[in-house]
Amino acid sequence: MSENIIETSGLTRNYGDICALKPLELKVPEGEWLSVMGHSGSGKSTFMNLVGGLDRPSAGSLKVGGEDLLALTEDGLARFRRKFVGIIFQQHHMVPYLTAVENVMLAQYFHSVPDEAEARSALERVGLGHRLKNRPGELSGGEQQRVCIARAIINSPKLLLGDEPTGNLDHKSTVMIMELLKELRAEERFTVIMVTHNQEVAAWGDRTIYLDDGVLVREERMGEKQ
Amino acid sequence: MAIILKTIPHLLAWSVIVLVSFRGFTGRRSVVTLSSISGLIIGVSGSCILFRSFPGAIPFGIIKSILGLSFLLLWGVSVASGYSNAVRGEAFCRSKQFFQSSICAGTVTGIISMVAGAVSVCALPVTGISALSMVFLALSSALIAYFIVYAVRFIEKRLPESFMVSPLGMVVSVVSLLLFSSSSILRLDLFSPLSMKVMKGIHDFVHQFMESILIPDHLFVRPIVWKYIGFLFGNGVGFWGAMVIWFAPVFLIITAFLSERLPSVAHIRQGAQRRTLLAAAVTLRRCRLVMPLLSILIFAAAAYQSSYPSVEYWDPKPLAVTASQAGEIFIPKKGEINLEDGKLHKYLFKKGDKEARFFVLKGPAGQLTVDLDACAICKPDGYGQTEGTVICYYCKTLIPLETVGKPGGCNPVPVQFTEKADGVIIDAITLINSWGATVQATARVKEGGK
Amino acid sequence: MLLRILKNSFLKRPKSVFLVFLSIAMGASVATAFLGIAGEISHKMALELRSYGANILLEPSAVEGGGFLREEDLPKIKTVFWKYNITGFAPYLYGVADFAAGGRKERGVVSGTWFTKQLEVPGEDISIQGIKGIAPWWDVSGNWPDGPDEAIIGAALAKRLGVNTGSDVETSVRGRNQRFRVVGVVTTGGFEEEQLFAPLVTVQTLLLKPGKVSRVQVSALTVPMDDFGKKDPAKMTKDEYEKWYCTAYVTSVAKNVEEVMAGSRAKPIWQIASAEGSLLKKLNSVMLLLTVLALVASATAVSTSLMASMAERSPEIALMKAIGADRFQISAIFVGETLIISVAGGIIGYLLGDQLAQIISRTVFNSAIVSPLWLFPTAIISALVVAIAGSVTPLRRALLIEPVTVLKG
Repeated sequence: MSENIIETSGLTRNYGDICALKPLELKVPEGEWLSVMGHSGSGKSTFMNLVGGLDRPSAGSLKVGGEDLLALTEDGLARFRRKFVGIIFQQHHMVPYLTAVENVMLAQYFHSVPDEAEARSALERVGLGHRLKNRPGELSGGEQQRVCIARAIINSPKLLLGDEPTGNLDHKSTVMIMELLKELRAEERFTVIMVTHNQEVAAWGDRTIYLDDGVLVREERMGEKQ
Repeated sequence: MAIILKTIPHLLAWSVIVLVSFRGFTGRRSVVTLSSISGLIIGVSGSCILFRSFPGAIPFGIIKSILGLSFLLLWGVSVASGYSNAVRGEAFCRSKQFFQSSICAGTVTGIISMVAGAVSVCALPVTGISALSMVFLALSSALIAYFIVYAVRFIEKRLPESFMVSPLGMVVSVVSLLLFSSSSILRLDLFSPLSMKVMKGIHDFVHQFMESILIPDHLFVRPIVWKYIGFLFGNGVGFWGAMVIWFAPVFLIITAFLSERLPSVAHIRQGAQRRTLLAAAVTLRRCRLVMPLLSILIFAAAAYQSSYPSVEYWDPKPLAVTASQAGEIFIPKKGEINLEDGKLHKYLFKKGDKEARFFVLKGPAGQLTVDLDACAICKPDGYGQTEGTVICYYCKTLIPLETVGKPGGCNPVPVQFTEKADGVIIDAITLINSWGATVQATARVKEGGK
Repeated sequence: MLLRILKNSFLKRPKSVFLVFLSIAMGASVATAFLGIAGEISHKMALELRSYGANILLEPSAVEGGGFLREEDLPKIKTVFWKYNITGFAPYLYGVADFAAGGRKERGVVSGTWFTKQLEVPGEDISIQGIKGIAPWWDVSGNWPDGPDEAIIGAALAKRLGVNTGSDVETSVRGRNQRFRVVGVVTTGGFEEEQLFAPLVTVQTLLLKPGKVSRVQVSALTVPMDDFGKKDPAKMTKDEYEKWYCTAYVTSVAKNVEEVMAGSRAKPIWQIASAEGSLLKKLNSVMLLLTVLALVASATAVSTSLMASMAERSPEIALMKAIGADRFQISAIFVGETLIISVAGGIIGYLLGDQLAQIISRTVFNSAIVSPLWLFPTAIISALVVAIAGSVTPLRRALLIEPVTVLKG
């Protein structure tokens, strides 16, 4: 068994009086595809934000890739995100005035230096070789999501986070996106954490955890279900 | 007290030099510390000995030539860096190891600090310094050096890691700081003589090589061409020519840095890693550009200091004098003003709407001289006196006191006078005529402006 | 990449960019225009103010000269260092006389002067000197005198004597008589209304004072007195004295004139000189205040429009943060954007402001102005200041954006 990429102990996040995430103990081994399921407000997005360094826990310890996220400054977290994490959102967020290839290059620019040829080949890899110079307004939902995937993996992250990446897509696009992620994972060997409320999407993972009211209620491995 | 204040800019420049050396010779802290302190002490006491054993002009000359050499060295290094970069980037690699050795670090910082110490001494009134005050100077310099080096070490530890100095950056910044330090001392200044030399050189060139086409109505010389030739004879040509020579090495070095090839990364398969390496190289290059870019500012400050020297001149307000019935102006030797104190004494004589400004001065050889407060060339802006020289305010030429009273060039125009036991007598008509003849061509027309 | 981001951001969001650009350009143009005329305005106002009378009075010094000045010295006034600043002067010779007209007899002052005298000074342009030039507020009904026996009479004196334009006035001084034809009646609102003004030569003959004048009024363009101008010239160093001499303070111009008029003492007429000075000073500070206000207003406008655009762009900023931009990188993008806009705004603002200054100058002072060269850097710098001042708050707001809250959807 490989090392754990994520280790939490007593991980808690309060928003004022509301406790979004009750103390959580979780270990995610490197290379795993973990699906996180739950109703809206169950704390699954909170969990993802904490792991991705977008948010800070109220208490507990959180180690991602050996880095103690609680010890990092704001800019330190930014550096952690650009080096270590790729994030895909539900609302395929792109900078509206930049073209597809420029949106990918943006991630390169923040990471180190932009490299247009590499960005182009990344888009070709996700099947958008013909849409390089289009702006987000001219792309369909599925295409935008694929740009986001290209952008998320361009810096070779160890960890890919998806926050309901297929929530706004039809079934056909969903399957295409999931296939694509699976392919890329096979090549790049990153760890995937996928937040979803869609049982079907969750089934693509190796393991699924269920959150309810900020508590881990159930956990199942792919093999166990059958 | 004021004398001590004068050395502060020089010591400041030296402390920046020490800081740069610490960062330039990384890992040689103790060697740099030791050689900087000892270099400064040796420089201070060495130049004191020079000043004691030779008359004033020679030590200044020696130190000035060392500074000139350092500037030539900078030129050489900058050209070589541009060349080696263009031809093959590996030229410096072998010397790099030598550069980082402790022998090199010690010698280089030692020599630099010696020069800096010598320059600082020149800011003090050291001609004919006594042995006792020399010892005092050496001791206090040791104390100051010790204090400054440790202060610099303290600061250096707190500077960000990314501030680093490459050998080239070190050469350029050290030379710029030395020249900055020396530019405030009139007799060590390099920029003004440089612009003079450039001007003279161009004039000579035009005269010798273009004589044939300088004949008016020459077939190839149209009026428009005359304009350009006119520029070559203007005052500006010296200044701009000197500016080019002054700044070219820095810009050469900056171009060398900018044209340096980035590391080859084609063999790395993963894009992110490749780009990380490139980004590191780009950042490194930017960090190394910091010192040359700062040096541009320092060089500019030095040129400015040289063009607008902040030296205080002895320049008394002209005293109005009148002529006797016989048309003679008598200026007593003793009285309110002691004519023979070796200082410039200015007088203003008015007759009708004509006036003449002149000064009386007792030269170092002990003879009195009476001169117009104007020369035959420049606008009559007058003269001021500093140690050992008078300066023409208009063209900033330094005229040694020994030659005041002799005609020619930018020397003040001498006036005939008769010396009596109790004073000097000047003929009013001669004075007025002499002023009129000298100044007529060069005077600024007094106009009612706004 | 940074340039690429900025270029696209400009091209794709022209409206909000234009708003910011507009407010910066406005600020810069107003600053340029105001500062451009501020320098010119004091000059022009000084000219206008000159119409309120002479500001230097030359009198015989008590010691020498026998109580009179020499008429032959007068042309020298046009040869002094400050000759171009002296807009005009008029000599006066006073005497008490008995006037008789139409049977009435009154005692009053006869005053010999120049009305519109052509003055030829070797080496200078021919100029017209006299009362008409330095006292433009005199309201003369009738004509200005031409011949040697023509005169204008003060309104009060005319009333006492019951004379009007066209009448003759018999003037007698210690037994000598001179008949003047009144060609005009002057209303000034001052002591001049009690006098009869006749050509200087005639009055000199009448009073038996050939070639003499009692006083000279000089009208000169001066700069407002400041603390330096008030210093005692005798205590100045050489440099200070030179600077004082070369500054058109009323005192230095007076000193200058005094030097050429033998036996004279020049007195600045302080009420005018100081009123002028304080008026110009106030005017200048009002201009400066207006400029600062305009700049503050445009900084506020910049801040508001940037704020609005930040709100609009907050998803974009949150996204950049989420994919790993640190604060420096975010700032670089937005500060770079404002800097480019502000440089462009500064250039356009300078051009606009220059035109504005021309228009103002033409409509208010009826003359063209040349804008000084330093206005260009001033315009650019004021644009930058406006942009930086205006973008501090929006930028801080942008850096505080939390990706989690914005990107939640």
